[in-house]
Amino acid sequence: MDTKWKNRKKAVSFILFFAGATLTLGSVVNMWRNKPGGTRIPQMFEQDYQKSREFRSYMATRLDNFLIMASGGSGLRDFYYDNGYTYDGTAAYAEDTLETQGEVSVEWENEAEAVEEYAGGSYREYGNWNDAASSWLSGGDALTEEERKELARRYHDRIKGDKNLLYTVSYDGEVLYSNADLKPGGEDSLPEGYNFFLEFDGEKVRIVKDGKELDVYGDGYYRDDSQWYVPGYKNFQGDDRVKKAVVCMAAASNPAMYTKGDYGTSGSWQPDNELYWMQCNFLGSRALLIKNAVFLAVGLVLLVLAFFTRQTRREAEKELAVFQSKIWVEFKVLFFIILLGILVNILAYCSRNYGIWQEFREITMESWDYAYVSERALALGNVIMGEVPAWFVILLFWGVFFFWNDLHYNRKITKYGLIYKLCRTYSAKDFTLPLSLKIARRNRGVFLTAILYSLFLIGMVMIGRALEYRNAWGMVFLLLFLGTLCFLVLLYFFGKKNMETARDLDTLSRCVGEIRDGNYMDMGEEFAGHDLENVMGQLEDIRHGMARAVEEQMKSQRMKVELIANVSHDIKTPLTSIISYVEFLKQEEDLPAHVKDYVRILDEKSQRLKNMVMDVFAVSKAASGELPVNMEELDFGKLLRQTMADMEEEIDKSPVTFRTEIPGEPVKIMADGQRLYRVFQNLFQNAIKYSLQGSRVYVSLRLEDNTAVCSVKNTSQMEIKKDKDFTERFVRGDESRTDGGSGLGLSIAQSFTEACGGEFSWEVDADLFVVKVSFQKI
Amino acid sequence: MGECVLIVDDDREIVKAIGILLEGEGYQVLKAYDGLAALDILAEKEVSLAIIDVMMPKLDGLSALMRIREKKNIPVIVLSAKSEDSDKILGLSMGADDYVAKPFNPQELAARVKSQLRRYTSLGDIHARNRDGEIKNGRLLYKTEEMTLYADGEPVKLTATETKIVDLFMRNPGRVFPAEEIYRRVWGEEAFSSENTVMVHIRRIREKMELNPKEPEYLKVVWGIGYKMEKQEKSS
Repeated sequence: MDTKWKNRKKAVSFILFFAGATLTLGSVVNMWRNKPGGTRIPQMFEQDYQKSREFRSYMATRLDNFLIMASGGSGLRDFYYDNGYTYDGTAAYAEDTLETQGEVSVEWENEAEAVEEYAGGSYREYGNWNDAASSWLSGGDALTEEERKELARRYHDRIKGDKNLLYTVSYDGEVLYSNADLKPGGEDSLPEGYNFFLEFDGEKVRIVKDGKELDVYGDGYYRDDSQWYVPGYKNFQGDDRVKKAVVCMAAASNPAMYTKGDYGTSGSWQPDNELYWMQCNFLGSRALLIKNAVFLAVGLVLLVLAFFTRQTRREAEKELAVFQSKIWVEFKVLFFIILLGILVNILAYCSRNYGIWQEFREITMESWDYAYVSERALALGNVIMGEVPAWFVILLFWGVFFFWNDLHYNRKITKYGLIYKLCRTYSAKDFTLPLSLKIARRNRGVFLTAILYSLFLIGMVMIGRALEYRNAWGMVFLLLFLGTLCFLVLLYFFGKKNMETARDLDTLSRCVGEIRDGNYMDMGEEFAGHDLENVMGQLEDIRHGMARAVEEQMKSQRMKVELIANVSHDIKTPLTSIISYVEFLKQEEDLPAHVKDYVRILDEKSQRLKNMVMDVFAVSKAASGELPVNMEELDFGKLLRQTMADMEEEIDKSPVTFRTEIPGEPVKIMADGQRLYRVFQNLFQNAIKYSLQGSRVYVSLRLEDNTAVCSVKNTSQMEIKKDKDFTERFVRGDESRTDGGSGLGLSIAQSFTEACGGEFSWEVDADLFVVKVSFQKI
Repeated sequence: MGECVLIVDDDREIVKAIGILLEGEGYQVLKAYDGLAALDILAEKEVSLAIIDVMMPKLDGLSALMRIREKKNIPVIVLSAKSEDSDKILGLSMGADDYVAKPFNPQELAARVKSQLRRYTSLGDIHARNRDGEIKNGRLLYKTEEMTLYADGEPVKLTATETKIVDLFMRNPGRVFPAEEIYRRVWGEEAFSSENTVMVHIRRIREKMELNPKEPEYLKVVWGIGYKMEKQEKSS
């Protein structure tokens, strides 16, 4: 399969899962949070605001107030207690919906705050009245008849402009307060746009909505979960005075906003318009819920798709884990710490309003009644859940998910982290030498000191801030000074030790360098008590060992040369006899022919033996570096010409021709002429001996930069074996040859050239044998 | 003839060989196989020349040489397996008249013996002053007026060109002449490749006057520079 496509598939599968889970989680949390208290899920999609609990509560409260106003009671419920909280959460959600168009709500951390702000805006106009009312209300029953009337009147003045709620309050047949002409049983003659009619006839309440009468009382008993808080239940009856009161109320099906322009008295103002806002909030809340429901649906679909692509997603998770393994574990921990911090912050915030901690304590303390406790715990859980924003839950979910992913695929997640890295860097586990251990310990010490000092500084700053108002700067400064001093002193000691080691290292490397350069003398460095004491001691041992080895080698070299010299001396004495007697034999004239032939062979071989002995001696001398050279300024070209002139007869007799290319002008070099003559004599002899018959030997002298290079080229008679080193002693081009050569010719040439300070090299190109001798031109 | 030559070597075969050689040349031969025996013989008999090996039992050659030099002025040829220059110099400086390294060419040794004896006997006046028109260098004598070269007192037959070359060298002992200069001065013209021509003549001269032409004592090559006549200090 195509890799690109495979990768894309992996990405898609993971995005499916990611989007699905995020949407599902976010919408569920939002729906949970936005659900007005006590509402069941199906009710949340109700379009009619009049079916909301708020509406029922509103109507019941108004009825209550109207009944009080009608019967002249003093318990007039006002906005101060009821209406402010009638809005409960809805106001906030409405605001949300209107302002952020249903994005996941993060703007309001606490809905109570929103309500407060809301109240501070729209209800500000009640402020004065509330102030006045509260002073009267605080008087309670102490209010006079007049004052009660005045309160009722002002209340009426305030609410009558809100035509969303029409009402007629009459007592004993007389209309007391009214903003519309409503009569009992007048549900059919409601003005246009009103669809909700409520009447109280002194005994019971009757409600007609959209022409249908609602069942208000159920089985006739008021319970906790009864919908309408109105008198008329068997266990909730009005008093005698209220029996004369008749209240009719009508609510608009689609409330509008009313504003009054009392320019003559105060200015424009809005009556409470409570139903309008209620509907707004209700619709907004509903829109939000629907949107979340859509998200939930989409999320679930995506999750289903993700379920089917879980195989590829697993691969994506693996790759994700690879990426995760590159993140320091500290960051991961930090993420959860931040999440925890946010959670604590949120809980602390809602605790301020709800007393969560107290509630929690009470729940845990009063554990004797399981049902009660669980109920309260559930309620508390609801509250807490309601406080936690969706983004937090999503973050938490993904945090846990990625953490799990990390744990699942990356065996040791602690392996890649700052602390682990630090531990590794400063770990001395693999060290065995006391030196390394010491240095490691010192480095750790420096690091720890630095950490402690920075902590100390931070602490000082914090203390300084805490003591800001107590005039304790002097003490802080003193502490700072002492701490810094301690720090510097510690650093100084660590640094001093390190510098000592650095200095020792310097000495040590110098010693190593000297040993490399061949100085085996005692350097007399003292390292007692230092880090490098052991190392230096070992180096001393090495040096002594090397000095001894070199001395022994020199001795054995000397002995070798002496041995060769002695052996050649010992050979020379009998050789002298042989040569002498062969000479006598040669002079005998009356020897038979075959004996003369034997004598000739004896003569040849003894001469060869003589040459060999001389060569062996020369080469061993040269190899041991004991060859005395007499360096003088000479003309390289002339030396070559002289050598060839000297060997003229030999060259003329040989089957090869010499071709020379030697510049006429002097090529001055520093060398020992005698030795160099021997070098070229050997080279030319070799060329003559091993060249192909009738071939040419090329001798050329050239200047390359500042170097005079003489090359001798000849074509070999025999095939040249490639891996043969001709300058090795006793190596000959033709191993089967038994002529006069000692096999030392090239070896001597090389040794002598090098003894004179020149360079000797040779190379083979097929049958061409090239020797190069080069000297620095002066 | 009949000069008496003492041969000292611990190797009896070598002594015998040299004996045969020198007897063939007509010399009387005495033999000794160690230093002390040699000194005894020298004390008893009239010996004209001694050939002494360096490495010997009882008394080594160089010590024996020193003892001989205490009393006698005869020519002494030192034989040695040591062929290094330093060995030769040591031997010569201790009073030897010649130094022959083993293994030697018997003919050369015979020639050297002859040369030393001739100078000791017939040309005995070692301290003779140089006369006008005579240039003396070791065993060579060149009479400038006759333009004749004598080796060990015997005239050397030279061609005209060779005589010119010998004349140049004998008049300037120790001086190094590049081949070009020799050519210019002898042939009287500028030379192109003079090296071979000059070398050929020098080789011929050597064959006529040197005891061992392959290891010349007088007419030497200074490699890379030229040619020169070696000044033999010991004979002056």
